[in-house]
Amino acid sequence: MLLRGFTTAATLAVVVASCGSPETRGGEQVLDDAGRPVVLHTPAERIISLAPSLTELLFALGAAAQIVGRTDWADFPAEVVGIRSVGDGLSPNVEMIVASQPDLVLFYASPSNDVAIAQLERAGVATASLKTDDLADFMRATRLVGRLSGHEAQADSLVSWLETEMSTLWESRQQSARRSVLILAWDNPPIAVGGGSFLSEIVELAGARNLFADTDRPSLTVSIEAVAERNPDVVLVASDSGLPGWVQRPEWQSVPAVRYRRFVVVQGSEFSRPSYRAPAAVRRLRTALAELQP
Amino acid sequence: MRWAGLIALALVALAIGVAVGPADLSPSTAWGGLLGRGDATAITIVRDLRLPRVVLAFLVGGSLAVTGAVLQALVRNPLADPYLLGLSGGAGLGAVVAISLRLGGAWTVPLAALVGALLSIALVYQLAVVSGSVLDTRVLLLSGVVVGAFAASIMGAIMAVSTAPEVRNALLWLLGGFDAASWRALGVFAAYAAFPLGVIYRQSRPLDLMSLGEEPAGFLGADVERLKRVLFLAASLLTAVAVSVSGIIGFVGLVVPHATRILWGHLHRALLPAAFLLGGALLTAADALARTAFAPLTLPVGVVTALVGVPLFVVLVRRWAK
Repeated sequence: MLLRGFTTAATLAVVVASCGSPETRGGEQVLDDAGRPVVLHTPAERIISLAPSLTELLFALGAAAQIVGRTDWADFPAEVVGIRSVGDGLSPNVEMIVASQPDLVLFYASPSNDVAIAQLERAGVATASLKTDDLADFMRATRLVGRLSGHEAQADSLVSWLETEMSTLWESRQQSARRSVLILAWDNPPIAVGGGSFLSEIVELAGARNLFADTDRPSLTVSIEAVAERNPDVVLVASDSGLPGWVQRPEWQSVPAVRYRRFVVVQGSEFSRPSYRAPAAVRRLRTALAELQP
Repeated sequence: MRWAGLIALALVALAIGVAVGPADLSPSTAWGGLLGRGDATAITIVRDLRLPRVVLAFLVGGSLAVTGAVLQALVRNPLADPYLLGLSGGAGLGAVVAISLRLGGAWTVPLAALVGALLSIALVYQLAVVSGSVLDTRVLLLSGVVVGAFAASIMGAIMAVSTAPEVRNALLWLLGGFDAASWRALGVFAAYAAFPLGVIYRQSRPLDLMSLGEEPAGFLGADVERLKRVLFLAASLLTAVAVSVSGIIGFVGLVVPHATRILWGHLHRALLPAAFLLGGALLTAADALARTAFAPLTLPVGVVTALVGVPLFVVLVRRWAK
């Protein structure tokens, strides 16, 4: 799955390189992840980012000064608090966006943004929808955002650094005795994280195996019985306040990993979305898994 | 004969519930697990996960069906169901508040839902008691709907402005399911449910009179005002506890009483136990289907009750109407 991601990223890199930058190619179009052309003649100078992952990316590319709007959800880096928020990132407030006079609005690719995108296009504001669900998405988004914001060189070096990091991690992962990890997003109903997700990639890179890697969906509602039957070695939860309360509930004691408190609790947004912090997240998870060794 | 058939149906539903599940256990392995023999995982799955879940689903289904039957007789409205009286809104609001305040703890969400449901019962009751101690069933219906709508809109507002992403999961919990089933949850539910169920059953005869109308019931010797208060409180408390262990499961409390009336007639002494068994069997079967149809995924059980129950009910109504 991960290797497939890398090949996709590599193919895309070639395609993007052959297109050149948007401002110098009159008539040639840049397509976003929704397949829509991004109409921009010069690099954007006033950008609104409606996804925390893209806000973080703009900072990483050195484009922080060009950001004129973010969402309430943006939480990294700490400097985002200095940028005005336009509210939610899905079905956003178009009036607040237009009032900030952006020349480019970056959306998370979702059908619930279609109305806002159409309204902004009528108002003459360029938009780009980007999927940032896994690392391959992230690398593609990095190149595209780099071009649109005029930071192509930074984007290229970020992508090649990340590719090197990822292949180093991929090759150095422990391959014998891979432990199975239940990634639990919620306890009632139990929602597990499936194979088609960033966290699953992180777990695989850390040398373990996602208990529900066989499902392509990013998350799935399961029953405790399905978890008990698959019998994970470790439970991974994201929580800012330590072990969640449900670990004490009697029905969960049927899962040995819960009964013996074999938990890895991770904290921080580097686990919730792909970013250049992913290698650090993988290393932290590796350490945590190693410390859990029986 | 009809009773034997109904009891057999209930037992079959319970047996299917224990025999099937996302874990692919053969019937003999499941039987062995039930008796405590064989593979330790199979024993855990059957004894600690399936058995309490199946019995809890049965008791909740039965309780919802009985509650629906009582409320339909009490307010003399065929559309009455256990959630009509503002309970779903109150319970949902409690759960959403607990999640958005990020209250931790093993029992937070069900307890908060119970508190929300009890508060909405108290409010509805206050609104419906007019001129001293007379409980006006028309006002009861209206205040139930209004309080439920009010709580639901506060819940919607919290969900819109809350920064806790988990709040969306409260809705999933609210859709209903038995993932929180355990022997302890089962014990708590059984202990709470026994009293209101007993109270309701003792009022079978007055309930028959109530279906004739409040005035005729009064002429025939029923203490109508006391009866209305007792039944409303018993039915509401029963539903509130059901919500706190399993979320909001629609359809059972609305349609099972009607189906039972078609098959069993209108006398509550027979109608109530029959509705209990039928509701229990339906919900147990629906939960088994919810767990296995797309395993390892589970469906919200409320979705399945309607999917299975509506076609059955349509057949029944067609045959009855002829």
